Amino acid sequence: MKRRYTIIVFTENNFGLLNRITIVFSRRRINIESLTVSETERKGISRFTIVIEYEEANIKKLIQQIRKIIGVLVVFHNEDDEVFYGQIAYYKVETKNLEAREKVMEVAYRHQAKVAYSGEDYVVIEKTGKEDEISTMLHLLEPHHLLEFVKSGRIAVVRDQARFGKYAQNLGPEGWYSDEEFHELRLHQTYINGNN
Amino acid sequence: MTEQAKTKQETPPAQAASHKKETAEERTVKGSEALMLALIEEGVDTIFGYPGGAIMPIYDALYDYRDKLHHTLVRHEQGATHAAEGYAQMAKKPGVCFATSGPGATNLVTGIADAMLDSVPIVCITGQVHEKLLGTDAFQETDVMSLAMPITKWCYQIADADEIPLIIAKAFYIARSGRPGPVLIDITKNAQQAMMNKPFRYEKRRQIKGYKPACTPREKDIIKAAALINEAQKPFIFVGHGILLSEAQEELLKFVEKTDIPVASTLLGLSAFPSDHPLYVGMLGMHGNYAPNILTNQADVIIAVGMRFDDRVTGNLDRYAKQAKIIHIDIDHAEIGKNVHPEVGIIADAREALLALTPQVKKNNHSDWKKEFDELYEQEYAQVISQDFDSTGGHIKMGTVMKMLSEKTQGQAVIVSDVGQHQMSSARYSKFKQTDSWLTSGGLGTMGYALPAAFGAKVGAPQREVVAVIGDGCFQMTIQELGTIAQSGLAVKIIVMNNNFLGMVRQWQQLFFDTRYSFVALQNPDFITIAKGFGIPGHKCESFEALDASLDTLLHTEGSYLLEVAVEKEGNIFPMIPSGMGVDQIRLS
Repeated sequence: MKRRYTIIVFTENNFGLLNRITIVFSRRRINIESLTVSETERKGISRFTIVIEYEEANIKKLIQQIRKIIGVLVVFHNEDDEVFYGQIAYYKVETKNLEAREKVMEVAYRHQAKVAYSGEDYVVIEKTGKEDEISTMLHLLEPHHLLEFVKSGRIAVVRDQARFGKYAQNLGPEGWYSDEEFHELRLHQTYINGNN
Repeated sequence: MTEQAKTKQETPPAQAASHKKETAEERTVKGSEALMLALIEEGVDTIFGYPGGAIMPIYDALYDYRDKLHHTLVRHEQGATHAAEGYAQMAKKPGVCFATSGPGATNLVTGIADAMLDSVPIVCITGQVHEKLLGTDAFQETDVMSLAMPITKWCYQIADADEIPLIIAKAFYIARSGRPGPVLIDITKNAQQAMMNKPFRYEKRRQIKGYKPACTPREKDIIKAAALINEAQKPFIFVGHGILLSEAQEELLKFVEKTDIPVASTLLGLSAFPSDHPLYVGMLGMHGNYAPNILTNQADVIIAVGMRFDDRVTGNLDRYAKQAKIIHIDIDHAEIGKNVHPEVGIIADAREALLALTPQVKKNNHSDWKKEFDELYEQEYAQVISQDFDSTGGHIKMGTVMKMLSEKTQGQAVIVSDVGQHQMSSARYSKFKQTDSWLTSGGLGTMGYALPAAFGAKVGAPQREVVAVIGDGCFQMTIQELGTIAQSGLAVKIIVMNNNFLGMVRQWQQLFFDTRYSFVALQNPDFITIAKGFGIPGHKCESFEALDASLDTLLHTEGSYLLEVAVEKEGNIFPMIPSGMGVDQIRLS
């Protein structure tokens, strides 16, 4: 049976790694629903959030294939109820007159979205939330003549801290350094020790 | 933090170095020379390659180091990769290839993919256009990184000469550690030409963050596995390439002799276990032996060491060893549970795992179980083997050639086989008394592998007799490497089994496509004249009566020799598990 998974991958910030990771999916004809990559609070370490639908029976094998890539530090998969997740969306809506503007503002207000920009011809509404919340708001704003719409990929944090902590440990005490930095540091130390 | 604090108080290393007398290793050199020094540091003494525009600075540096780094000029870059594979497997260290950008690099692709599937450590160095020209469709520019990514264990592009020592160290460490595999390093022309900004220093890599190859097994897995083995009534051991890669032959022998469990080998595991050992029961898989395939579905415990349950071994997975509890030992965590679900998965080096396992298992006797294998072997012998050995009817059979070759070389030669019917014949009928005596392209099934790989094997183990067994189709895929062999002066013995067909495809067309022979017939050139043109002597054997003397000529001629054997045109390889069938549905005819 297919299920939706949020795969979280920590990697070295190396050139080409994104490519290597997406090959794991494309080779198996898996469609990536969303993919978000950004640097973590640790310099030189990236965090991937990948959302896919995949066979429950095979997900672990897929995770092993990602884990196998050199430069991947930690990888784990979660179902939707195991993560806090969301995305961000921008709606640019035409506002020809005051009445239209008020209606749009009201929708935004009711849905706890914020107005990022308000100009003469249009307003930009910024909304964070889950996929269904974003699309509900899209439906509500569409009648008001939507000029532009964009939503980001999903980002997520793990609910179970004990489980996440176990993974985070694997980033290791040297985790504050990227691989190259760590190696240079060691060379440096060997040099000093060698001279002593 | 203390280490860091200490570092700050000391003189920075670059400054300290300038006070010291400059040694050879601490000169400031160009990127291309840094590569030579790095290769020497890694213990490289052999390179297979082909020069071209974007790698010329490297070849220029190589000229000064040609006494330490012996370079062989191949005739096609694919030949370089297969030669490096053969070399790596015999010399037990990574093989090294050089190629230029563009077509040079794309010609490497087949060999790299081959090394990836068969876990062979090779390091390919490709030249690349100047960094400024990247992405401009410059002359001989190809995006080699994107090509290499799905078929390498790791790849990297260097555009800064300072990176060379660090990256080369990483490349060799990754290629040879864990589950070995191919690594490609692409070096832009400017990085080859530029002076490094710091003196050349080199440190071999022993670890990399984000890469933790398995080594020793977990104790609880070993205890669980040992309990299963000790309880088993019909245990069965499968050995694969992992035994050869981890050099666990002795440990395997001890384990097998203590437990008295029958051993079968995968195609790539051949010669890891002596084939004349009483507990050896033959090869697994599509054209493997009858008994090990049938009895896979009767064993109660299967101990799989360093093999990956490839589909050519398992046949239909839904009918595969459902009754058995499987203990799977593999260094690659992604292989455990990939194709079959194991009762116990041991992620470890094969040697370490066997070392840990042997003291935990009881001395045992499984002679009744072994008898079942012997009975099935007799059936196979009567229906298949005896016929393959009988070439008196006017046609020489491949099996006869391999049997005679094996007897003449006393199981001591290195057999390098290409892909197809002759490969299955060689695998089935070669007897191996010495380990590391079998090379072939297993996972990728690369036609044209054997000739360059046999050359590489001879370079890697010059003291061994190397015999390449090649089909007439395969031979014409890399026939130009006869030139490489002739120029090297090394002795490679070549047997071409000529049936004027792409034999294996023809067999399938006969059995499964109503004998509709669709583009499998070959009109071949005169191979002997071609070999002579390259300066390699040879002759053609057309009758069984002449075979014995022909093989003697092949083996006793000094230097390389080509023996073409006209074999039965429409001979078939049996036993066979038809595609989509289970291992127990193996056919003898």
